[in-house]
Order: sequence, then structure tokens, then C-alpha cells
Amino acid sequence: MSVELDVFVGNTTIMDKEVYQLWLNGYTVNDAVKFRIEGGVMEECEASAEVLLSDTMDQYRTFQMCERLLHHPAKLANQLLFQIPPDRQAMLIERYYAFDDSFVREVLGKKLSKGTKKDLDDVSLKTGITLKSCRRQFDNFKRVFKVVEELKGPLVENIRQHFLLPDQLAGDYAAIVFFANNRFETGKKKLLYLTFQDFAFCAGQLINNWTVGAVDNMMEDMDVDLDKEFLQDLKDLKILITDKDLLDQHKSLVCTALRGKTNVFNEMEANFKNLSRGLVNIAAKLINAKDVRDFFIDIVEKFIEPCRSDKWTSIDVNLYLTHYTNSVHILDTFKYHAVWTRYMGVIKSCILRMYHD
Amino acid sequence: MECVPPCSDRPGFGEETPGVPLSSGPPTPLRAQTFSSFSPSKSYSRQSSSSDTELSLTPKTGMGSGGSAGKEAGPLKVFLRQQTQSALEQREYPFFTLTAFPPGFLLHVGGVVSARSVKLLDRIHNPALGNNTRSYKLLDWNSFTADEPETRDAWWEEIRQEIKSHAKALGCHAVVGYSESTSICEEVCILSASGTAAILSSRFMQDGPLDVEHRFEEVVSPGCGFCHIPYDELNIPFPAQLTYCYCCRRYKVPDVLFTTIDLPTEANVTGKGCLIQARLCRTKKKAQGEGNATAISNLLPFLEYELHTQLMNKLKLRGMNALFGLRIQISVGETMLLGLASATGVYLTALPSPGGIQITGKTPSDITYEQHISNMQKKINDTITKNKELYEINPPEVVEEIIGSPIPEPRQRSRLFRSHSESSDEVSELDLSHGKKDAFVLEIDDTDAVEDIHALLTDFSIPAGFYSCNTEIMPGIQNWTSAIQMFTSVRVFRLNTNLTNQGLNKIFSDLCENLLKSLYFKLRSMVPCCLCHLNFTVAIPEDELIQVAVTAVAMSFDKEQTLENGKQSGEKTLIKAITDEQLQFSLELNAETSSPNPLSSPKGLSDVGSHPSARASSVDYSSFADRCSSWIEQLKLKAHTIRRGSVKTTSSMEKASPLPEGRSRSLRSNRSYSGSSVAVVKMTPLSFIPGAKIIKYLGIINMFFIRETTSLREEGGVSGFLHTFIAEVFAMVRAHVAALGGNAVVSYSMKECVFMENPNKNQAQCLINVSGDAVIFVRESELELTSVQPQSATTQTSNGGEGT
Repeated sequence: MSVELDVFVGNTTIMDKEVYQLWLNGYTVNDAVKFRIEGGVMEECEASAEVLLSDTMDQYRTFQMCERLLHHPAKLANQLLFQIPPDRQAMLIERYYAFDDSFVREVLGKKLSKGTKKDLDDVSLKTGITLKSCRRQFDNFKRVFKVVEELKGPLVENIRQHFLLPDQLAGDYAAIVFFANNRFETGKKKLLYLTFQDFAFCAGQLINNWTVGAVDNMMEDMDVDLDKEFLQDLKDLKILITDKDLLDQHKSLVCTALRGKTNVFNEMEANFKNLSRGLVNIAAKLINAKDVRDFFIDIVEKFIEPCRSDKWTSIDVNLYLTHYTNSVHILDTFKYHAVWTRYMGVIKSCILRMYHD
Repeated sequence: MECVPPCSDRPGFGEETPGVPLSSGPPTPLRAQTFSSFSPSKSYSRQSSSSDTELSLTPKTGMGSGGSAGKEAGPLKVFLRQQTQSALEQREYPFFTLTAFPPGFLLHVGGVVSARSVKLLDRIHNPALGNNTRSYKLLDWNSFTADEPETRDAWWEEIRQEIKSHAKALGCHAVVGYSESTSICEEVCILSASGTAAILSSRFMQDGPLDVEHRFEEVVSPGCGFCHIPYDELNIPFPAQLTYCYCCRRYKVPDVLFTTIDLPTEANVTGKGCLIQARLCRTKKKAQGEGNATAISNLLPFLEYELHTQLMNKLKLRGMNALFGLRIQISVGETMLLGLASATGVYLTALPSPGGIQITGKTPSDITYEQHISNMQKKINDTITKNKELYEINPPEVVEEIIGSPIPEPRQRSRLFRSHSESSDEVSELDLSHGKKDAFVLEIDDTDAVEDIHALLTDFSIPAGFYSCNTEIMPGIQNWTSAIQMFTSVRVFRLNTNLTNQGLNKIFSDLCENLLKSLYFKLRSMVPCCLCHLNFTVAIPEDELIQVAVTAVAMSFDKEQTLENGKQSGEKTLIKAITDEQLQFSLELNAETSSPNPLSSPKGLSDVGSHPSARASSVDYSSFADRCSSWIEQLKLKAHTIRRGSVKTTSSMEKASPLPEGRSRSLRSNRSYSGSSVAVVKMTPLSFIPGAKIIKYLGIINMFFIRETTSLREEGGVSGFLHTFIAEVFAMVRAHVAALGGNAVVSYSMKECVFMENPNKNQAQCLINVSGDAVIFVRESELELTSVQPQSATTQTSNGGEGT
């Protein structure tokens, strides 16, 4: 004796947020029922486990039927099969495209290829997120990547429009796409302390300032690639460390400005040349794709770690970078002010974000 | 009105074929609230066209109810009766499939009349298809030979005659809420018909021009009139306890009233109502042909009796005294018979309070048994008390005191009210009521009865905040919000072999109960809400399979105002004279002004539903000249579009006004994702939409769908297959309505859902038939806002405002 068939179809498609989340999290129907029972929904509505099972199965089926539409959110609004109120649609999309920070940290900057997908069971084991959910998140990244890869115009806006995501989430996806495209290394041990949001912030800075789209909206090129010309120009900054006079001049200017304003002045003064070399070298090397990948490692190794070992506070870092950046403009022989500003603006905000006290 | 469908018109798809044939007369988009369609002349002409079985037996005798004519006092009354009678008797069958009527139309309601007949289809059987019973079912319209429709007509004729004579036995001349259905298994067919015997007001039966307003105004009926017995109490055709009406105290009323109609709007009801179901399953030996038919015939009376007993018990258990919307389905399978009776129980203020239920044991032998019985008795009493509280049934106690002496003072009052009464009020002074608190005695004589009582008590109680009924509306709830959710749920249960009757009963009952529980759970977010028009359909698609399908609508309501708003808003919703503009086919006079509008722009129209504020902007798209030319185009096409559907309309639309279409398309193709281009279409099995006014009926939607899959597993098994299919059926209905320019479907019903599977072959098939009326509705709040300006302008502009 068994229920052979059990369906419920509403004119307005009924979707329970809680069950949707369980489905997204990749739980089986039975696990989901357990969760729901623990959640106390039974006492609330005088239901039995049987009813709960039936409802959960039904909802899961609905979600599965909706899933292909969710792959192209714009279709959700224009399809006829399910009558879903707009606010519900937005909720469905937003949650479908939401991801776990712990998961994204694992794949951030990796190539969104079949190979990476094969490794997802390891990721699942490591993060405790179900494989099903990992796959969904990975596929989402890949899908978004594929769509916006070839599109012109601002990256965030493209994602927002094609996937109908809220601004914050669209920004996060832009970061993911940007990282995947430039293959930034984020998995090294030294970088593990950084959260996804740290990277997303940095990605935002890079997208807004260092891509072609950042300077010229009409350009054919897109937001996902760094501005080659700019990277080329960065080489010119090398003069700041190769020209001895300039380096000394720069140092004395910064030190004069900083004196008496911080507890770690001595360390700053002692480390100035090292730090400056580090930053300028990062700039000079960015023209090589391989060095672009190591961008974040370089920043941590060349700047953040030395500062941290000297116990700088964020305020110290901010102070130092401000004067370090501004002093250059007073150097009379230095001519690359525009490039310097564009470079240091991003570097400064990235470092400040990445510098956890 | 006379639903006498020639059988040949309907493919015999199986169970529960609806009574109203598609082919007879124009589709009437009007149901409960539409009285102008109630023209006698119309129904008369329909009779002649729909039925070719000319009956010469139409009785010409004066008045029914046997020898009671002599007791009828007053010549006027007799005259009135006869007039009504003759108006009705001109009709072959004075049957009405309607379930709701204008106030005052129903003078008296006698009770449910029903007839069943078991027939063998073997003579129609086409040997070529004989081996495969399933395809036989689906294809039997192919196997008709010339004389068969007549055979079937004769079958139905017998049944209708029986219904008619039952009604007559109850002293009634008409049957309302009439319906017919069939259940077929192999070559055995059960034909069923049921309705409610009634006496109708002659006022509505007169021919001549309809003066709707006038007719309704004259009749101010009291809320108890229809409860008064139409039959003569000394010649009651069945044992019944009569008492004086608890409202007017002038006329006799029965202790219980069963009907198939909706609760009349004017009825006085105490408390709220609830869905009451009786479920029964009886095993049957496998047999062939004649033997099988005999076996089924022998089982049927018991089945009906037990269903009735269950209904009665459950009604009393809820402290109620009347059933509305009673629908009994009997389904036949190879090894079992299924009976499902659904109705909405209420407490009619006019009827006496039901006594309790008293259990007696037949064999008062041992102590433990007595103990057991007294325990059950206590449980039952507790349940009744609890239910009375739950459904707010607390009739005024004062009434009961007077009942002891029924004759005095009310007599005088009755004179004052007399003007329109025509019932048999000259009842003898004999009071036959045997005391007011007669308990309904349940005798436990075998295990069956014990089981029954257990079942009675184990019906789960409805969760807080929910109400349910199978009628249009719930008495006591009027202030609906606009939140409605129509749904269809289907369950198929596989049984084990070799089950006992009790086992089967339990399973079937649990199946229905669990289904209801699931519905309540699913719809918990709508609380407080009422599941209206809960329409259960049972079938035995295969041996050992039971299929239950439910279509209903959940409607939220405001809790606070429940009491204040009371009747008025309910009547406002239901009783609205229909205007020409609402009709599907506009009258010639205003055809030019009003008709083109609903068709003028499908896109604009669909906007009416989703966001009416966008109406103005869609007008801006095209210049006035464009619109005019398209109107003319559509005027020409109007007749076609109604019959041929929307495809042609849309294509012509693009030609006629390329500008707005082109522009809107380009808008859509760009990135207007955020604003959905899909119009919202509401669906409801009811005849109205709460808080909205239907401004136009666009015609009947009647669609058949057949779906087959050869990759059942890949589509998520049977559930996945049917889920998708039903969702698609909804989508197609919505799309169809939207294409007609509508934004809602009312009176929606799923008339057929035949599901077959063969998991071994990875295959499944399903046939679904749905129907409803496409309408355009406008929210009452919006109507108030917009009505201010167009009122002063010409009709054209006001219509134009609605249409484009």
C-alpha cells in the first residue's frame, strides 16, 4: 500500500522559502523533512510527518521544474508555466544565485573548467557543503562567466541585467568573474586569512580603476581584462626606485611628513626603501600575466607582512600610504603623475582592506 | 435548464461526465449571480432542441403530494401553485442545474432526490476493440451504431422520470441543483442523477419581458421560507420529525435538511459551516456482464444507506442540522465500489437543534463492553461540545422554550406576513415532534459499527484559522480579501490485494483525510482562510488503484470584520443584475461602441489585470486613427475570433496597428526583464472574484488535453509527469484567457482527469478536460476611483477606458 502519485499544483505557484533553502543546500527530501520537523513546523500547523513528506516532495519537484528557468532568470519573468508573483521571482533568483563564502574561497581565481568541477567533491568534504550545492554554485559561476565574458559595457551592470540580481550580489559575481578571468591566486596559505568579501572589494577597485572600461565606456573592450596600456605605463614608475636621488628625495619627504605622527616611525623610516621597492616592483611586473596572478600574494609578501611584523596599525598604514602617494607629486623630476595616482589609488584601498590588525 | 444531453455528443471518457452538454445552446457565461439569463422562453426553446425524447406522459394533474389537495386552503394559493406548476410542467423535466437563485425564487425545499441505474454496455460494445478495455473507454464514440444514442437516451429518460416522481412525492414540482454522472468499468455503467426537490416561485416563471429589478424587489423572503416543508405532513413519504419553524413559528420544518444546492443567500444561519464527507469502500467479487451488474445493483442500496448514515452522524457530531451542496459519487471498479459524499454542513436557524448521538450496545453482557461504550459516549459528547464552540453554533436558547407550546401567539403574526406565502401552512394542529432533544441512536451490533464510530471520532479537526466548504461561499464569512489561490491536487493510492471492507474503508478515509491535511498545510500562509468549492472526484483507474482529485480555491478573509459586515457584502457580491456590457455577445444597439474595446489591443488588455495603472500609457502608443482602424478591423473579425480563438485576432492585430505592436515588441526584446510581460490571470472555481467586479464575460473555455510520455522515469516518475501536465494545463488556460483579453477564469472546473500508467514500459498517459468562463474583472477599489470621470461622459469613453 503506498501513495503512487501525489501532486499539488496551484494557480499561483506555492513555494516555501524554508524548503527552497533546504533544496538549494542540496539536502535530500528525507533530510529536508528531518530538518523541518526539527524546525517545529509540525507543532505550528498540526501537521504529521506524512504531510510534511508529501509537501516537501511536491516543493522539490516544483523547484526542479523551475531550475532550468532559473538558469536564465530573465526567462522566469516571461515564462507562462508558473505564475509566480514578482517579489517571489526575485527571491527565487537571489537565493538560487547566492553562494557560500567558504565555497567561493575554494574556487576563487580558479579556472571554471571541467577539471575544477571534478575536484568539487574535495571542496564539499572540506567545507561541509553538500556536493549538490557545490555543483549548483559552481555552475552558477560558470554560467555567469560565460554570459558576461563576451559582453561590452560595465561588468556589474551586465550581470545585474542578465541575471536580475540585486546590486550587492551582482558585484560579488563581478568579482568572481574577474578573478576567474585573470586567474588571481587566492588559495595560497598566506592568503587564507582573507575573506571573499576582502577579495570582492579589491576586485571592485581593480574593475573600476584598472580596466579599459574604467577610463572609457565607449571602448570595445570589456571590464574583465586589465587595461594593457596602463600596465605598460606602469613600467615607467620604476624610476622611483632605480633613480637613487628620487628614492632618497621621496623618503625624506615622507619621513618629514610622518615624523611625530605615529609610534612606528622608526620602523617606517627603516623599511621605506624596501616597501617602496616592493610596491613599485609589483607595478612594473604587472604587464606579465603570470605576475598578475600573483598580485595579491605580492602585496601580502612585499607590504602587508613586513608592516605586520613591525606591528603597524591600520591607521599607521593609512597614514603611511597617504603620504607615500602624495609625496611623489612634489618630486620635480617625476613625470608620470596620472599613472601613479591610478596605481596607488587602488593599491592603497586594497592594502587597507587586506590589512587586518 | 433541462440538461438532457444526447449521449452521442459526449465521448464516453468515463466517470462523472458533466450534465451540461457543450452543444446545446449558446454557452452561458452566467451562473449564480446572473438572473437575467433566467428567461423561461430561453430555457423552453432549449428543451426542445436538446432532447429528442418527446414525452407524452407529461402529467396534467393539478397538484402533487397525493391527496393533500383538499387540505390546501385558499383558492389563491392553489391558483398560484398551479400557475407555477403549469409553467414548469410545460417543460419535460422541470430540472435546473443551477445551484444558486435569486432570493425568493425557492419557496420550499423538499430534500435531495436521487436515482441510480446500473446498465450493461455490452450491446454497444464493439468486438474489434473488445480485448483492450482501456482503449475501449477512450474510443467508444467510434463504435457507435445508429440506434445507440436512442438507447442511452432511454436510460437517462428512465432516471429523469424517477427523479421527477421522487420530487412529486415530496410535494415539489421542480428539481434544482440537478446533476447527472456516470461511472464506467469494463462494460458496466452506473448512471446517477441527483437534485433537490423544490417549489419555485411563480413570479420568475412568467413569460414576457424580463423586468429584473421589479421581480426581485417584490419578493422579500424571510430567511426561513425555503426550509418549510412542501409536503403534507400527514402523508410524509418517509419518517421525519417535524417541528414548528424556529424563525417564524408558523410552519413546519423537518429536523434535518439535505440539499444539492448552494446555501440560499437569504438563509438564516447560526455560526459557520464546514465540509462534511462520508467515505465508503466496499469490496465486490470479480464478475462479468450480467452477473457483475447484478452484484453492483445489490450493493448500491447498502452503499447509499451507509453513506447517508455517515453523513447524518457526522452532521450531528458537528451540532449542525442541514447539508448543502451534497454530491455523492459512486465509482465502480473491478473488485470494489467507492462512495464519496461531500457536502457543506450548516446550522439553519429555522431548524431544530440536532439531538446528540447515543450509543447503545446490542449485547449488554460484560462490564468491560459497557465501559467501552460509555467511554465512547463521553468522547462523542465532548466532540459535539467542542465542535459547537469551533463553529460558533449557539442558537438562541429562548426559542427552545417556546417550542413546547407551538400553537399560541405566533399565529397572529403569521397573518401579517401572509401576503406572499403559498405553502401548506394549514397544517393540522397535531404536533408530531417527539420532544425536542431526541437522540440519534447508534446501535453497535457488530464490528462494522464499532469501526464506523471509531472513524467518526477519528476525523481530524480542522486546523485553527481554516474553514472549508464545498459550496460557493461559506456562511458567516463575507469580507474576503483579494488573496485567492486556486489549486488542483491529485493522489493515486495503490492498495494491497485481499483487503477487508474495514481495511479498505480505513485506507480510503485516510486518503481523503490526509489529502485535506496536506491542503491545510500547504495553504497555511493564507490563514485565516476558507477552502471553498472543495470538489473531490474519485475514480478507480485500475484495479487496486484509487485516484482522488481535488480542485478548490483558498480565499483569505479579514477576521475582524467578520461579524460586522454580515450579510450585506455577501449579497452585494452575489446579487448583481447583469448588464449588457458584461455579456459575451453585446446587443446590436451598442455593438459599435462597446464591443471592439475588449479586443482592440490584446496587450493593453492583459495589462488591465496586471497593472491597471499602465492602461493610460498603452493608449499613448498608437494614435487615435490607428485605434479606429483597428477597431473596424476587429469588428469584422469579431465573430471569427470568438469561435476560432485568439490566433487569428493577434495576427490581424499586428497588421492593423503595427506601431504599438512593433514598439512593444522591441521593448520586450530589449532588456525589460524586470517588468514581466506575462499577464496575471486569476482562476477560481467560484462564480465571482472577491473584491472585484466582472465587467465582461468573454465566453466559455473548454479544453481537452491529452499527454503521453515514453520517458516516465526521466520526467520524474508519475508525479513529475502529472505535475508538469497540470501546471501546463493551467498555463494554457491562462494564456488562452489572456489572449481573449481576459484576466480571470471563473467557474473553473476540472471535469476529467484520466490517468494511466505503465511503469514497466516507462509510459504514462493522461487526459484532462477543464472548463470555465473567461472574464475581465476590475477591482472594486479601482472601479470607485475611475468611475467618477467616465460617468458623465458617453458610454463610448467609459467603455474605452475599460478596454484599452
